[in-house]
Amino acid sequence: MNTKKIMDCERKRFYKIINFRLPHKFMTIGIAVVALSIIMMFVRAFVMEGDTVWLKVLLQKSLLVGMLLMSISKDKEEDEMTITLRSQSYAIAFVIGVVYALVMPYVEFGVSNVVNSGGEVLKDLGDFQVLVFMLMIQLMFYHNLKRYR
Amino acid sequence: MQNTIKVERAILNITQDDLAKLIGVSRQTINSIEANRYVPSTVLALKLSELFNKPVNDFFNLSDDD
Repeated sequence: MNTKKIMDCERKRFYKIINFRLPHKFMTIGIAVVALSIIMMFVRAFVMEGDTVWLKVLLQKSLLVGMLLMSISKDKEEDEMTITLRSQSYAIAFVIGVVYALVMPYVEFGVSNVVNSGGEVLKDLGDFQVLVFMLMIQLMFYHNLKRYR
Repeated sequence: MQNTIKVERAILNITQDDLAKLIGVSRQTINSIEANRYVPSTVLALKLSELFNKPVNDFFNLSDDD
């Protein structure tokens, strides 16, 4: 196999990964997983007693998985325009996500100091908070872009 | 980019939905192209050209700001 063939093979594999999308039915599965996770989060917070930190972590992960399924599943009518809109929504979600990760710790620090009259320490955002925010922004922008097309 | 797809569609007497089905996109995509909100790919432009039986230049034109 010569260099050109190897490069072509790598390029094909690369584009296959980039263009990977799940079938549309995964959107419904994603919505169900997200809804169940949110319901269970409320149940854990207000009904369950005892040490349920493991459940909190598990529900956070399942919420992320559900949102990811929603994000990478195809539309009912997938065409080149929806692919373009999806790319735009990922780009804007990335930019807003970075700004959010940079600014939000200072906002939280300021607010908690005002509410608790000082003494609070500056804390970084967790990965869950940033990822959920980015996925939320992506899904919101994608559906809005589709609505205004 | 400006286009006269609406006119070409009227000549063929087909709806946006018919045109969308013929070239394999959604009706909203046709609507966006006709309203100059979306510039289609070369593949889609050539599909339209084949359907209208005209060169792409006949129904796609560059505007002043392009």
